Amino acid sequence: MKQTFQNILKGQKKDGSQSQLFILTIVIFSAFSILKPHVFFTLLNIKSMGFQIPEIAILGMAVMLSMITGGIDLSIVSIANITGLTTAFMITQHPASTGMSLNLWIAFSMFIGLLLGLLCGVVNGFLIATVNVAPILATLGTNTLFNGLTVGIRNGESISRLPKQYVRIGNGTFLGIPMPLILLLIISILVGIYLNRTGLGLKTYLVGANRSVARYSGIEDKRILRITYLGSAFLAAIAGLIISARVASASPDYGADYVLLSIVIVVLGGVSPTGGFGKVTGVIMATSILQIILTGFNDLSFSQFFYLICQGLVLITVIGLNISRSKNPQKISTYVRLRRN
Amino acid sequence: MQQSEFSALNISKFFGGVAALEDVSMTIKSGTVHCLAGENGSGKSTLIKIMSGVHSPDKGIIKLGQTEFKSLTPITSMMAGVQVIFQDFSLLPNLTVAENIALPSLLQGNAKVVNGREISKIAKSALEKIDISLDLQSYVEDIPVASKQIVAIARALNQDVKLLFMDEPTTALTYKEVKKLFLIVEQLRKNGTTVVFVSHKIAEIQEICSRITVLRNGQVALEGDMAHLTAKDISSAMTGIEISSSKIHIAEPSAEVLLKVENLSSDDVVKNVDFELHRGEILGITGLLGSGRTELAECLFGLKKITDGKVIFEGKEISRLSPPKSKKIGIGYVPSDRLSEGLFLNQNILRNLIAATISNYRNSFGLLNKNRMRQGGQKWAEIMRIKTSSVDAPVTSLSGGNQQRIVLAKWLATQPKVMMLNGPTVGVDVGSKQEILSLVSEEAAKGIAFLIISDDVPELVQICHRVLVMREGRMVQTLKSDEIVEEVIYRELIK
Amino acid sequence: MNIPGKKLLLRNEMMLVAAILILSIVINIKSPGFYSFSTLFDLCRASYVQLIFGLGVLIVIISGGIDVSFPMVGIFSAYTTITIMDKLHFSQNGIIIPILMAIVIGVILGGFNAFAIAVLGIPTLIATLGTAGIIRGLMLAGVGSRLIQDLPNGLDHLATSTLIQIRNSGGTLSRLHLLIIPISILVLALGWILRRTIFGRSIYALGGGIESARRLGIPTKKLQVRIYLLVGGLAGLGGLMSVVLARQADPYSLAGSELDTIAAVVLGGASIAGGYGSVFGTVLGVFLIALIRDNLILLGISGSWERAAVGALLIIGIVTQAFIRKMKKRETQESHAEVQK
Repeated sequence: MKQTFQNILKGQKKDGSQSQLFILTIVIFSAFSILKPHVFFTLLNIKSMGFQIPEIAILGMAVMLSMITGGIDLSIVSIANITGLTTAFMITQHPASTGMSLNLWIAFSMFIGLLLGLLCGVVNGFLIATVNVAPILATLGTNTLFNGLTVGIRNGESISRLPKQYVRIGNGTFLGIPMPLILLLIISILVGIYLNRTGLGLKTYLVGANRSVARYSGIEDKRILRITYLGSAFLAAIAGLIISARVASASPDYGADYVLLSIVIVVLGGVSPTGGFGKVTGVIMATSILQIILTGFNDLSFSQFFYLICQGLVLITVIGLNISRSKNPQKISTYVRLRRN
Repeated sequence: MQQSEFSALNISKFFGGVAALEDVSMTIKSGTVHCLAGENGSGKSTLIKIMSGVHSPDKGIIKLGQTEFKSLTPITSMMAGVQVIFQDFSLLPNLTVAENIALPSLLQGNAKVVNGREISKIAKSALEKIDISLDLQSYVEDIPVASKQIVAIARALNQDVKLLFMDEPTTALTYKEVKKLFLIVEQLRKNGTTVVFVSHKIAEIQEICSRITVLRNGQVALEGDMAHLTAKDISSAMTGIEISSSKIHIAEPSAEVLLKVENLSSDDVVKNVDFELHRGEILGITGLLGSGRTELAECLFGLKKITDGKVIFEGKEISRLSPPKSKKIGIGYVPSDRLSEGLFLNQNILRNLIAATISNYRNSFGLLNKNRMRQGGQKWAEIMRIKTSSVDAPVTSLSGGNQQRIVLAKWLATQPKVMMLNGPTVGVDVGSKQEILSLVSEEAAKGIAFLIISDDVPELVQICHRVLVMREGRMVQTLKSDEIVEEVIYRELIK
Repeated sequence: MNIPGKKLLLRNEMMLVAAILILSIVINIKSPGFYSFSTLFDLCRASYVQLIFGLGVLIVIISGGIDVSFPMVGIFSAYTTITIMDKLHFSQNGIIIPILMAIVIGVILGGFNAFAIAVLGIPTLIATLGTAGIIRGLMLAGVGSRLIQDLPNGLDHLATSTLIQIRNSGGTLSRLHLLIIPISILVLALGWILRRTIFGRSIYALGGGIESARRLGIPTKKLQVRIYLLVGGLAGLGGLMSVVLARQADPYSLAGSELDTIAAVVLGGASIAGGYGSVFGTVLGVFLIALIRDNLILLGISGSWERAAVGALLIIGIVTQAFIRKMKKRETQESHAEVQK
């Protein structure tokens, strides 16, 4: 199994090329379908993947935004948790005395949660653009702080037993399509439009390509950075909502592994860790690939730990191939670049 | 009697079918200061890399002393006594002066443990050879550029250098520091080191070198004793044409004052500068390194803080400038280092062309109209006569001259009223240079005012209506029409 | 005797010492009796593991890289060692053999990193991200995933060995753990290596600029291999010590601690871009974080706020460092004003 998979990888001509990733997705999907047709290739299974993929893909997009500017946002998971926790908390505080319907209250709670997430993004943007702290360092600090705040306020406890109206967002379907997937679609289109069709998006790429040159070209680099980290916080917040809705609970420590996983996805999806390039579809496909592998392994009764090994192997193999093929191997550590900006 | 100790004989080198060097022979007499001259693209760097083992020649041999080499490696050339000091000095900023000087030789000696005293001793003796003393314990990142260069030289000395290449060593030095460097080079020569001084600055070459080899288009255009050559011989060998200081036709500027600078100061670098810039005028600003000319432009562009004085644009005083604000007002700036300040090297031509005018391509929904953007980019590529098959090609595929035109186009597209160009023709081939200057004159005739910061005196003579000379932050001299002659400018600079 | 950025570091280290002093004075005021051997000894004990890991992180960061795999290397080495000793029933009473075994396993795992980074040329963050996943998966799938609560005698004994015992006025015992000796030796040794050997200076050189280092004749690839092997061994040691002090081998422990240790090292003055850092600073950083983390209660703050406090401390530290750098840059620029273009 792993053998076939690695052969597929070796056939890849250019990592990051969208069509290549697409082919890889199809191939891996088909492989698993052939291996375990009755378990893997079922509507139920596919649907379940459709529920799990969106939150990680959206987190991946959050990291992608920051990576395009040559930085990195390590605080996305803690922001997601802050949003999820705040929303969950407020929902459970629904004042039955007022006449406000539950649905309206839920919407309001989600709004507050998102607002808090955005606030975190403002903090990040301030540290990175105004104080000029290296992004990896700044978000390392804020991640600890945000995480610590949620743990502290809640005393480490999570909130569960959320009303089904909310849970439906993460588990319901609309016309047979999982709700999270619909959200993912909408978000991807919006992010895609932002990056590819707006002036801000283009400026984001340019700031990532070379912040000094962007400044010399009259581009407001500080503003772009602030907006970027606001955007990544926003996406993280949405992911947080989806997660808490899907899992029907919110905890301060959920998804600690997700930060590194998001980086894996983004790098696989074709975002260069040194900034300047990146595509939304790449992120989605990379997420799908990994999720398909996870599900497939499950269905093949492989230990879930094989998935971990696979993640690591995939990352190293793909990047290694990428580097050996490119004429300019990116030997400079990401973080040198992050600091020089 | 071995007069010529180092030579490259009949060297040819091809990169993908294109000849970087064709049948090049260079003979360097030991104990002399030899000049290797040539414009960008002449093959100078390739020759240096071959002599220091980074590249192997496709044809020809290298002779170092008595030994002949078909090709060298970095290690074999180092062992044969060849050292190169590149423009970036290759120093380690986070280590001390002493460590930078002493470490390479210690590494080669397979030492395991390091003794602070031993390192200092080694460093000190290397510095003594050139009669210099530096603070051995200071960190290289804290010392001025001239001292860094000395550290690089001492490091080479410590490795028993016999043939030392210095690549454009005076680029970042002030006038006084250049003089000091020449003393050091002279000391090196007396100690028996042979120095190859790679430069294109004729005045300096004449002062320090005894022999010269000029490369042009990968071939030797001239080799001989400096005593028998004139400046004109050398410059025409480098460029291949007779340089005449014939002025490019420039239209009369209007009398309208576009920009007025009053008593402008910025920290200690720009001091009480006054001048006026008229519509359609081409104003040259020159001065030695350290005179504040670049800082002046940076102040007007909003990159540097103005601590005193006024800037009046079109009659209105402007304050708290920033690059976006300057762009909006109509001031554009083409910086001196296009590679690190002007171009997005990992992007394509189109993106580089429209980088300053992105907002122009928005449609009514706020989205970018990609077709219009592409058309805009192609239009400018045509106007600037940029030789490329497509605007999607990476900007690194272009020559220096074409790249410079892209940076120019980027700013011209903003329809500026004032354009500041810092060193517009540095590292640009002769053809492009003339085209750029013609372009400047054309645009000036249309009404754009130009501020040209340059130390290329012939260029200033060719194109400027007036020339302002700066020294140590102050504006010390204004030259008009007939006064703009090479000798006069050189005299002002050296004062 | 040179530590790069001496003036900067001195300021940074002095500030850390000041912070530690001020903090402890404040705590002592709030909760008299804080200044006691008991506190000091406990603080030491709480710092050992993070210090060992931190030294490894310091070396990698000085060299210009970043390592997120060390907790996995640590727990793999320790868990495997314990499992092997369990299954093969040997050396139940000794400590030398298990320690050596853990270090050797750590070195081998470090070899994975060395291969990915030096041979394949993969950027350090990505490479160690990948190896972390692989190692974790290998451990959980291949070695085992159950909690081992009975450590072999020798190690168990080590967990409770004390060097000094002081009887307090209250009648309780203050214990200084035996490990203080080997760890002090380790700290001094690494400090000496970094300051006084070619190997150590080369690490700084590598961090100063990989191209410049190469031109100097430093064998950068060989150096990188040696660095990651060394750091692997340190991680193995750290993992075993963590297991010993916890008196159990939990394969799920240590996960997620990489960012915290990196934070401590950065707080101690190491620059994320490479080329700067000192052992003394790392010791101070680890100490300061342990001080805050374990003594919040004495300030009347409940324990669940510990992470938030660490996060706040980190951000304060990072922002302060950024300011110092900005001031230093301005000083250098002004004194060279006449030299610049």
